[in-house]
Amino acid sequence: MFEFIRNKICEGVTFSSITDDRFKIGRQSAVLIVPLSYETASANALLTCVLARSCKKYPDFTSLSKKLDSLYGASLYPSVQRVGEYQFLTISASGIEDRYALNGESVSMELAKLLSTIIFEPNIIDGKFSADEVEQERRQLIETIDSEYNDKRYYAIKRCTEIMCRDEPYSISRYGTRQQVEELTLDDIYTAWQRIIRESRVELTMLGSTSPENACEGFSQYFSKMPRTPAVITPVQKKPSEVRHITETEDLSQSKLVMGFRCQYAKNQQTFLENSLMSAVLGGTPTSKLFTNVREKQSLCYYCASSVNSSKGIMVIDSGVETENIEKTEFAVMEQLEMLKRGIISDEELQNAKLAVKNSLMSSLDSLAAMQSYYIGGILLEDNSSPIEAAKIVEKISKERIVEMAQKVELDTVFSLVGN
Amino acid sequence: MDFTKIENQRVGEHYFRMKHSSGLTVIVYPKKGFHSTYAVIGTRFGSIYSRFMFNGKEITVPDGTAHYLEHKLFESEDGDAFTKYAKTGASANAFTSFTQTCYLFSCTSQFEESLKILLELVQTPYFTKETIAKEFGIISQEIKMYDDNPDWRVMMNMLCGMYHNHPINKDIAGTVETISEITPEVLYNCYNSYYNFHNMVLTVVGNADPEQILKILDSSLRTDSPVETKLLIPDEPYSVVKPYVEQIMPVSVPTFNLGFKEKCPSDYVSEKEIICTNILLNAFLGESSDLYRRLMDSKLINSTFGYEYMEALGCRSVILSGESREPKAAAKMILDAVRKLHNEGISQGDFDASKNVYYGKLMAGFDSKHYIAGELIDGEFSGRNMFDIVDIAADVTLDDVNKCLETKLDADNVCLSVVKGE
Repeated sequence: MFEFIRNKICEGVTFSSITDDRFKIGRQSAVLIVPLSYETASANALLTCVLARSCKKYPDFTSLSKKLDSLYGASLYPSVQRVGEYQFLTISASGIEDRYALNGESVSMELAKLLSTIIFEPNIIDGKFSADEVEQERRQLIETIDSEYNDKRYYAIKRCTEIMCRDEPYSISRYGTRQQVEELTLDDIYTAWQRIIRESRVELTMLGSTSPENACEGFSQYFSKMPRTPAVITPVQKKPSEVRHITETEDLSQSKLVMGFRCQYAKNQQTFLENSLMSAVLGGTPTSKLFTNVREKQSLCYYCASSVNSSKGIMVIDSGVETENIEKTEFAVMEQLEMLKRGIISDEELQNAKLAVKNSLMSSLDSLAAMQSYYIGGILLEDNSSPIEAAKIVEKISKERIVEMAQKVELDTVFSLVGN
Repeated sequence: MDFTKIENQRVGEHYFRMKHSSGLTVIVYPKKGFHSTYAVIGTRFGSIYSRFMFNGKEITVPDGTAHYLEHKLFESEDGDAFTKYAKTGASANAFTSFTQTCYLFSCTSQFEESLKILLELVQTPYFTKETIAKEFGIISQEIKMYDDNPDWRVMMNMLCGMYHNHPINKDIAGTVETISEITPEVLYNCYNSYYNFHNMVLTVVGNADPEQILKILDSSLRTDSPVETKLLIPDEPYSVVKPYVEQIMPVSVPTFNLGFKEKCPSDYVSEKEIICTNILLNAFLGESSDLYRRLMDSKLINSTFGYEYMEALGCRSVILSGESREPKAAAKMILDAVRKLHNEGISQGDFDASKNVYYGKLMAGFDSKHYIAGELIDGEFSGRNMFDIVDIAADVTLDDVNKCLETKLDADNVCLSVVKGE
């Protein structure tokens, strides 16, 4: 049994369900989409964390956790992502399917209710969120921001894109800045909450075997009482004027090289898939140009991979290398990109990349989390086609199109985190 | 020779198991309606196998050998396996843990071709001085990448702080120095001992047909005679090496591991002990526990805090981990609570809630092909069964858990490992 339904509930609010009875865990999410901005990013992020930890009925995280325990350890978790120049604020609930409940409870209904309640009936007294809960989440969010520096691969990529997009909204961190989070007042959080439920574009998703009507009902009731004015934005597109080289030093065993490129921004799924395939040929698989030449032939590194962000129009290639090999690696990467631009791609390379991309699309059908992220990814492209349809599109992409996409790739910023 | 069907009512699923004439144990776990197939072949040979007996002969190998062997097995005389998989579209990988080396792929088409590549891969060792030398640069970079990873360092430092002699105190990939001693002979010795099919398991999970797989095995596998292999582990005292270890690294938020070392009265932990330990830990420091709340209110942990029960031949420990601005204060609050826990035990209410949570966790695992394959392979090597765990868990009582507590969480035999910034 597999059925995909998508309905508009009211202005800017859409409910999508995938009914699929193969799984033991069901999954429901509310994705609140807002433009990424300096003024609101940190308040939105902190608000998302606060919402997921308590509500009027369960006013602190211990009581909410106890409730989740009673639903066979169901989980409710916040996540904040930057997607293109939007901020995606997601709260997801997952728990065992009703048929596995030992005492006949409807876990899915309880979770649906909980999900709409925590968003619309938070723990607010006299127009203020609970100071204790906000402080608890504020401290943790600051630690999350600080700990991004602990993971040097992640940190180096973040620095590179920050520098590259310094005058664009894309340079804003998904959580805003540490200082902003520190300075947020209870009023700021309350204002953010009011703004988000009115102005965010809302994508509600339900995956599993629960009846979609049940899951949708709670949200419909809340939203139907509300005037809504969702915002729409178009990402900033830039071309590099000249390549910037930035170096920072750190006490590390291995240096990190991150190369940031501008590439084609994808307005539709066709372009999105062409970009993905181009990146797969270049550095997305163990038989890609980068893996084969930079790792296997030259033994310069353990990883050297490309990843394309079509919703912004940038591509990142990163590697971990010996300090004395930084330049050599940069050169080797540019050499492979040049080959791609000149159309030096064998039929086998193209075929291999297509198989890998198709395999990844088709595999997403076997995991609710992967299916959800696939369909959410389609939102900005305004495309509801299934992974199976997407795989068919990939099959038909020509070598010429790959070369055209590669020719739009231009180096913008090279960031090196240099170790000892 | 036929497959035996093993099923479980609570889970509502089944799998097929057989000992193939080649010597290989084979498990096929069909998942109804799945598009993809996940296949893993594993050997009971991981990083702790640095000294072992092979048919009456003692063999010692440099630290990091199992991992190096994993990299090199990907390459045979006619090219590397990645290139072969590329033609089938399968996503392939391999990993080495303390106790296993596994080779795997996941595919949504051309399963038969991919399985043949996997089986050929483990049957065609090709180790020369040149191919070993080529890998040195790659693995050196992998080692250095882990050297800069605070989460990895904090765990390895803790294992060094807990274990005097057990080889679990050595990094899985070895060091740049130890791997430079690896020769073709070293790799062939290991291969002949542990890549004998009697030491290996194949599991296929997802869109899979046992009869089709059996046909492929019949035509692709050599027949191995049984070998005698045994891991040699030096005697390990009960006490830890030191109660506190610290490393300075460029990090903004300190990270810690708190390990509680245990005795090992048998080679492997029983199903019941794993269940009781998990229920105990959830009741004691899960998100709805009193201790978790107090640690949070005192700003000593954040949502990265978690627990696991770690087991390898000859070593067992409960490990708590997370980020903390004050790891020592967090450890103190935890150890005080542990002492109190030993006096009071777990309450009936906390037990009931945690048993429920554990049931949900177990069920969730069956949605993941990776989890199922991992559990099946672990089960073959440790004599446990993932279905039995579900059934035994249903009957576990509060008394069982409180009895289990007696040999767990010795607050006087711990090692706190911390990685922090300058």
